[in-house]
Order: sequence, then structure tokens, then C-alpha cells
Amino acid sequence: MPTVLIPTPLRPHCGGQSSAEAAGATVGEVLESLTAQHPGLRQHLFNEQGKLRSFVNIYLNDDDIRYLDKEASAVTAADTLTIVPSIAGGRA
Amino acid sequence: MLNLLAEPWGVIVSHARACYPRECCGILLGTAAEGDVRTVTTAVACVNAYQGEQSDRFELDPKDQFEAQRAARRQGLEVLGFFHSHPDCDAYFSATDLANSWPWYSNLVVSVRGGEVSHARAFRANDNQTASTEEELRCPQS
Repeated sequence: MPTVLIPTPLRPHCGGQSSAEAAGATVGEVLESLTAQHPGLRQHLFNEQGKLRSFVNIYLNDDDIRYLDKEASAVTAADTLTIVPSIAGGRA
Repeated sequence: MLNLLAEPWGVIVSHARACYPRECCGILLGTAAEGDVRTVTTAVACVNAYQGEQSDRFELDPKDQFEAQRAARRQGLEVLGFFHSHPDCDAYFSATDLANSWPWYSNLVVSVRGGEVSHARAFRANDNQTASTEEELRCPQS
């Protein structure tokens, strides 16, 4: 199964694990499977419309899925997904 | 408590000076020990990817974070948090900082006045990014 690397802020919602395996043939399916296993992750990854939150970036191996087929990007069992939180700010 | 070693602090100071009067930003790597003591062993200086006026805004490129996460895992380190500067302004955690933050991470804010680092403070956001608390900071300047 594909592996998903979990950033530290989300590990409490994933049994404290730094990575998890989740089934699926696309990025969207893998994330659905992951959040079915760990429901506490859902609110951090998806908005109320079920779309990936804008503050969440997903890498498929070395590539940002925004530059692939987004959540429809094909995934194999050997692939690794990395969840990367967006960080921004400023004094304004 | 956020404990910054001399080398990463030097990287942060140099980056903040070089980017002035724009905001700088970067990533803090290190170890998190029992008792909530976080020791920053590496500071990664990043490009401010904000598409607009950068004197009061910053944005980290997700690619830089991805690479930092990968480097941290390889070295047995954690991404402990992030740093950015406030040019000609105090080091506080603004509403913009809070709204664009994540829980758990340490957020180091560096005040730069006239091109020189004035002071720094660290903050952590709560679970739903509605409030922050100041974190004790130990670094060579304080």
C-alpha cells in the first residue's frame, strides 16, 4: 500500500505515527482511506465541501500534486505521499 | 522552551539582515525532548515566496518545506517550526501569522530595525489557530 508521511502537528490525530499506510489508486482515494482509518485527520485535510484545504499541500514522491493531476493523480503501492502544511504570515 | 544554538541563530540573523526591508523566512530543525524542550540545531534560510509586497508579508514555498521535512527525517530530526522577520516592527505574533500557522510548531519572530536584529520572541498557536501563547526562548542574543 502507498505510504503517507504525517507532519508532526497531525500525528496526534494519527495515533502518534509519523507515517501510515493507506489503500487507493489515486491521491484522493489514499487520503480518503487514511481519514477513514483516522477520522480526526479529516477536518485538518479537507474543507466542508470535501476538498483539500488550501493550507495543505500534498507531494506524490517528489512532486507537488498541483502540478500533476491533483487529487486524481495515479498512485502505486510503492509510492509515498507527504503532507506539507502551508506556512505564511507577516506583521500586517 | 525553544533553545536556539549559536549556528542556527547566526543563520537567522544573517538572513534577516540580508532580506531587510523585506520579511525573511525559514525553517527550524532540531530535536524535541521530554519536558517540551526544543533544541534548534539547524536553521534553513528560505526564499520569501509571497507574491506581493514583502515588507509585511511572507510565505514559505511548499517545496522548501518538503525538502526540509525530508532532510529532517534523514537526519533523525524534527521540523520544530519556522522563523520570519518583522522589519522596523516589534516581534509579535500577528493576526496574519496566527491565521496562517499550524498548531504544535514553534514560530520564531525576529524584529529587525534599521537593518539590524533588535530582538526575537517565539509563539505557538492553539489547535484551531484562534490564539497563541508565547514560548520561552533561549538564544545567544537573550
